[in-house]
Amino acid sequence: MSTVTSPPRRKDLLDIESLSREEIVFLLETARPFKDLFTRSVKKVPALRGKTVLNLFFEPSTRTRASFEIAAKRLSADVTNLAITQSSVTKGESILDTVETMQSMKVDYMVVRHAGAGVPAFIAKHTPAAVINAGDGNHAHPTQALLDAFTMREAVGELAGRKILLVGDLLHSRVSRSVSTIARKLGMEVGIFAPGTLVPAGRPDYMQPFADFGAALEWGPDFVYLLRLQRERQAAHFFPSLREYHNVFGLTRERFVECRRRGIRIMHPGPVNRGVELVDEVLTYEHCLINRQVENGIAARMAVLYWLQPAVAALPDEKEDAP
Amino acid sequence: MSNARLFRGGRLVDPQHAEPRRLDILVGADGRIEKIAPEVKPPSGADTVDCTGKIVLPGLFDMHVHLREPGREDEETIATGARAAVRGGFTGIVAMPNTDPPIDTGGLVRFVRTLAREQSPIPVWTSGCITKGRGGKQLADIADMHRQGAVMITDDGDPVADPYLFRRALEYARHFDLLVACHCEVPELSHGGAMNEGARSYRLGIPGIPACSEEISIARDLELARLAGARIHIQHVTTARGLDIIRRAKADGVRVTCEVSPHHLLLNEDDITDYDTYFKMNPPLRTPADNAALLAGLLDGSIDALATDHAPHTEFEKNLDFASAPFGITGLETALPSLYERLVLPGKLPWDILVRAFSQTPRRILGIEEAEFAEGQLANFTIFNPDGSTQVSVETMASKSRNTPFLGQTLTGAVEEVVLGPGLLIAAQER
Repeated sequence: MSTVTSPPRRKDLLDIESLSREEIVFLLETARPFKDLFTRSVKKVPALRGKTVLNLFFEPSTRTRASFEIAAKRLSADVTNLAITQSSVTKGESILDTVETMQSMKVDYMVVRHAGAGVPAFIAKHTPAAVINAGDGNHAHPTQALLDAFTMREAVGELAGRKILLVGDLLHSRVSRSVSTIARKLGMEVGIFAPGTLVPAGRPDYMQPFADFGAALEWGPDFVYLLRLQRERQAAHFFPSLREYHNVFGLTRERFVECRRRGIRIMHPGPVNRGVELVDEVLTYEHCLINRQVENGIAARMAVLYWLQPAVAALPDEKEDAP
Repeated sequence: MSNARLFRGGRLVDPQHAEPRRLDILVGADGRIEKIAPEVKPPSGADTVDCTGKIVLPGLFDMHVHLREPGREDEETIATGARAAVRGGFTGIVAMPNTDPPIDTGGLVRFVRTLAREQSPIPVWTSGCITKGRGGKQLADIADMHRQGAVMITDDGDPVADPYLFRRALEYARHFDLLVACHCEVPELSHGGAMNEGARSYRLGIPGIPACSEEISIARDLELARLAGARIHIQHVTTARGLDIIRRAKADGVRVTCEVSPHHLLLNEDDITDYDTYFKMNPPLRTPADNAALLAGLLDGSIDALATDHAPHTEFEKNLDFASAPFGITGLETALPSLYERLVLPGKLPWDILVRAFSQTPRRILGIEEAEFAEGQLANFTIFNPDGSTQVSVETMASKSRNTPFLGQTLTGAVEEVVLGPGLLIAAQER
């Protein structure tokens, strides 16, 4: 596989914060040969043959779930999708009950998304399966951060000393928390630009805030990372209108021209709100990395699945195979 | 009737003396203290209880307890909650009215008091709601509840959001000189938050509750109390600024008292490391600086009382993600040993202040007879062994619920005996 030696394997991937720089670099290096597979006619390796991956999604998602599903299948795992849309608070239902039911089915990996921060960690404590956090509340989205770091390295090489500007809803964003953490761990500088309502209290000091988009671009970022804006935030008074948001905090045509002049890469976790976070033209810009992020998501998730090690006991037939 | 009992060799703590004093206590067969002196000879036929090395405290009093009955008897009942209180060294507690149905009529006050008389080994007082059904829309039957013995009114768990209605409640309660106790919070500012807003909530990705949600509400309530001239009590103060607002109001002559919980003195947001819902309560754990400010307030008398805000929840309810789990932790059985281990033992909190805040003052605020070491008084004291230990485990707790942040720990010191009148409510061998 990879030429890099593997750090000790972990059971779960719950956040970026607990990963060392070495572990992050290992995962990014491991994702590379997986991505090379995609151009072959047979895009599959047998690494996870006979293993079962459960996509346990308590929050609706199509893109992330599909990405995990394709990643697992390209590793030859069997995949089951379980979407639980009811609220966990509904009386008579507990997350633990669901997990125990799934555990009885002997799954090896659980990919968990939940609206509540900490749920994947909670599940990880109660299952021998390897748990991958596919997004929990406002807390973390580690595979997103890994695919973003992979994409940035692919675009510019070494990331240490590079600059990333995060724009938009940092408050409700697990993406911004994980991306800023991975950027920091890889030696990047992190700038932020957002309305005061969407800047979280207690954010780390290393985040450098900017007063306007122009000043932020003057800072010379290598990457402008636009965060997705949930339209319903308007009703909760985070901003007065989408029009005003776009005019002040969006990548308008004028600001896009400035980005293009400077050769700044544009990123977004998707799906984009055209005319809100950015103008349409950005999507056809040669340094727009948004589609590449999606493609790389599969490779990054393959690396994670490949590296993690479920604590599921070996079955008798496997023991017999041992020398 | 039992024999006379002589408690020998213990060190007595009372609010008049900073240091415990070595005194013997002779309790007559009628449950009254006959004699207190450095050396009391045991009368013939008296049982002698060796208290050497033990601390003897006036029976503790908790003015903030959720007993959950009626309605949530799966979490706690008056009987189990009172039993937990005795285990914790308390000889009196006040039930909060946020039951189902809420205690908002004289009849319901009477129901709780009747059940308590039948089932509790210690006196249980109850509070009543400020508003009908805790709905915040109409005044509850305040006079009726008062007549039936409610010792305070509160919508605890929620503030009375409407300032006009709250003003009227204060004015109405003033007529009966009834204490109005306030859960101070601006719900619109808390806005679905689940822990203190700050660096910790950022890292955990949990929606935060800003400190000013509590502070603004305290300021509002104190201004209205000033206007109404009513007696007001601020429940579970958690922030340095909130305490300063209370200090200023006290200096201005507002008739305000306030309480702090042991957990807000001892724990802070940094203790929430693993999304453990046994660290989730409202108001939330704040910062280390707030811990220090609250302790200073307790020491200088700005904080009048200690109160546990004992809030039992089932394991099932707490086994949810942090944001969805209910607020509240139990406290009756951990309060004294946790305060002893972390504040008294290291010399940060003298015994006399603990006793003042956890026995004398809360009774005084509510007009309840105090637990005093005086000849002729009903025996009402707790024997605490500073060399003992308290296992905080499901097996050892009397509460129906186990939702305490101290679960699994062994705390220094143990409540060994609780003496109330002629009764010995728990004895050392029970533990």
